[in-house]
Amino acid sequence: MMLARVADSLYWIGRYVERAEHMCRLGDVLLNATLDRTEAANQVARITLAAAGRPDPARIADPYEAAIPLAFDRDNEDSITSSLAGARENARQVRDQITTETWERLNLLYLRMTGPGAERAFTEGSSGFLNEAIADLHLFKGAADATMSHGEGWRFLMLGVHLERAQLIGRLLEVCFGEDRAVPLSDHFALTSVLRMSCALEPYLRVYTADIRPKHLLEFLVLDEEFPRSIRFCTNRIEEHLSAVSRHAEIAGHSSPDRLAGRLKARLQYADMTEIEAAGASGFLANVLDECAAIHDALYETHVAYPLELRLPA
Amino acid sequence: MPPHLEEACVESGVTTATSVNHPMPEPVPSAPPYDEMRSVEGLVRPHYAALETRIGALSPAQLAERQMALERFFLLQGITFTVYGAESTTERIIPTDLLPRIIPAEEWSRIEAGLIQRLQALNMFLADIYGEQQILMDGVVPRELVLCAPSYRREMQNLFVPHSAYANVCGSDLIRRPDGAFAVLEDNLRVPSGVSYMLANREASKRVFPGAFRGAGVRSIDRYPDLLLSTLKSMAADWRSNPQVVVLTPGVYNSAYYEHAYLARLMGVPLVEGRDLVVHENFVYMRTTTGLKRVDVIYRRVDDDFIDPLTFRRDSALGAAGLFNAYRAGNVVICNAPGTGVADDKAVYAYVPRIIEYYLGEDAILPNIETFLCREPAQLGHVLANLDKLVVKAVGASGGYGMLVGPHSTKAERGDFAAALRARPDNYIAQPTVQLSTAPCLVDSTIEPRHVDLRPFILSGEKIVVTPGALTRVALKRGSLVVNSSQGGGSKDTWVLDGGPEGVRP
Repeated sequence: MMLARVADSLYWIGRYVERAEHMCRLGDVLLNATLDRTEAANQVARITLAAAGRPDPARIADPYEAAIPLAFDRDNEDSITSSLAGARENARQVRDQITTETWERLNLLYLRMTGPGAERAFTEGSSGFLNEAIADLHLFKGAADATMSHGEGWRFLMLGVHLERAQLIGRLLEVCFGEDRAVPLSDHFALTSVLRMSCALEPYLRVYTADIRPKHLLEFLVLDEEFPRSIRFCTNRIEEHLSAVSRHAEIAGHSSPDRLAGRLKARLQYADMTEIEAAGASGFLANVLDECAAIHDALYETHVAYPLELRLPA
Repeated sequence: MPPHLEEACVESGVTTATSVNHPMPEPVPSAPPYDEMRSVEGLVRPHYAALETRIGALSPAQLAERQMALERFFLLQGITFTVYGAESTTERIIPTDLLPRIIPAEEWSRIEAGLIQRLQALNMFLADIYGEQQILMDGVVPRELVLCAPSYRREMQNLFVPHSAYANVCGSDLIRRPDGAFAVLEDNLRVPSGVSYMLANREASKRVFPGAFRGAGVRSIDRYPDLLLSTLKSMAADWRSNPQVVVLTPGVYNSAYYEHAYLARLMGVPLVEGRDLVVHENFVYMRTTTGLKRVDVIYRRVDDDFIDPLTFRRDSALGAAGLFNAYRAGNVVICNAPGTGVADDKAVYAYVPRIIEYYLGEDAILPNIETFLCREPAQLGHVLANLDKLVVKAVGASGGYGMLVGPHSTKAERGDFAAALRARPDNYIAQPTVQLSTAPCLVDSTIEPRHVDLRPFILSGEKIVVTPGALTRVALKRGSLVVNSSQGGGSKDTWVLDGGPEGVRP
């Protein structure tokens, strides 16, 4: 049993933390890739900025100027600092529900990212700065895993993490394979960079070797069962956590977020790569993203913002 | 007509054991403040000896380093309050002083007895004025003083409060007068705050002075959260076997939010906001992920005015509509009870020694500060003649508003106040300027005396318990007597000693 508002906050902590991590990675790849002055580098820059929700071609000329707002712009609600502020604000609201170890990791990172020395540290070494932030976010998740009870609250936190991750990877792939892409993704450097953005390069190489093809990349990031950032892996976790949460909820019958997650899980499990290719990856990805959004809505309707009339004692 | 307050005080002083409790007939502003660490001759008091040795052995740099460690601890824990500026909002820690304030065992036992006596009498007073009103009929406290007080809640009349425990959590402000005796400056019976700082200061000082702490024999305050929980549970235990307790907070933007979350976490109970509560057919529920769950006891950290828009302020979004009716119906307990503020009203304060005598037949163990009620013509005359020596306070105001500090006032200000006093004498009280005692504090790496007060916390449910510790508030500006955190005040840990035979060891 926990307050609906608390579950909501924990869920959003998970989402914001995941978003911050993804933005760190996009920023890092953007600045690294554009060290080369090649057309492939420009393509990577376009992909990162589009995946970060700022597909403004004018920005590509100066990647560093483009990366700064990605990291520090508080008006951009997806920036790293905005995401961390959102996570911390929610954590502050449920400070009684998360362990001190978990809170301290997040608070420390927030204080560093918003402190007076942050922009200078970024200028002096963006890669080190961003990777340190990613490592701190891993520490946060590790602390949550190691110190929080794996009960309902933790499950809402993890639901936020995995739903956000599935949607972020989905959006990244839509930029790469969607209908409105400028050039087909084929360059080896660009493909490697996309794998880096999803923290997937090394695990990919172990499965498919250094022979990097768009088809395999798509297959790996959507359908791989073991890679923690594939959409299928995330969906499996979402389904697990949702069915556990519904067990806590003791709601009779098959609750609707549960059912949606189970359906998506089955769809990804039995998907066929050849069919997806034939029909166009774009439609498939759009469909998956719609399903994720529907799970979010159903979660709200069942556990957070439910109509009172249905729950009042008779 | 009630007797003059000076007389009341003198009467109560006569029979108390020690003569130091006699109030002084005329304020003597020139008396030097009591020094917590050193006697008048400049000798270190025995209970401070170990600490004195310890800090004497530390270089200024080491002291500064410990002060930084302390501040880091607070920042990391998120024990901050938010300062809202025009451009941006920043978070600051409450200034915290490194050096603990030490209270020997025998002094504490007197404070403890005095606090228990006082809260017992005040709870009886509240039960009476919201019941039969015997004390008003006997003319001990003027009827209109109580019934016309803005904090009096007619809605509470004839409402059953378990154990007659109206003020479940009380934080009294004590000061030490120049003669060394503790006196009560103010009772806080509404929603007193600061207890999280008492607990956090202790955590921090254990980290920075482990040796001195271990040697001193400091009484533990760790049990406060579970004592609070059992106090709250005792308010509904008679009809609910395992009452569901919640802490009601105005929300994350409240300056005391950290404390609300801290207490909820340490008690292991949900921290709810008004929007989490639903009242249905006079039962209170909270919205959980699994549906609605009944709530039995609400430890509310929301002022009376805001707890129920149907009963009190209509524009409040911080409470729950219908909450008060559920309370009247006996289906939920609100702690502290609404309307307790009438007993810590500044004018009623003057009558507390009489109230104690009336209900308990005892003299007040902890004296009041001498108080002049301007509603009494003779006392008004005295106040008007001595405006330059007195502190004049508006009865309904708090936080230093509507106040005249005589010795620091201009002639024009005194003229304005005199006019206001004549126009509405019943709205004002006056007190002599109080010299708070001083304790050593670390200011810019040197140790200097600063004025301090003492806020212990008293819990009352089935029984009354005082936690052996307190929040010591510090006026960090040299010579300043203002300890409020909003006006440059800080805090420090307070060590109540267990009175072991050796006292303090290094």
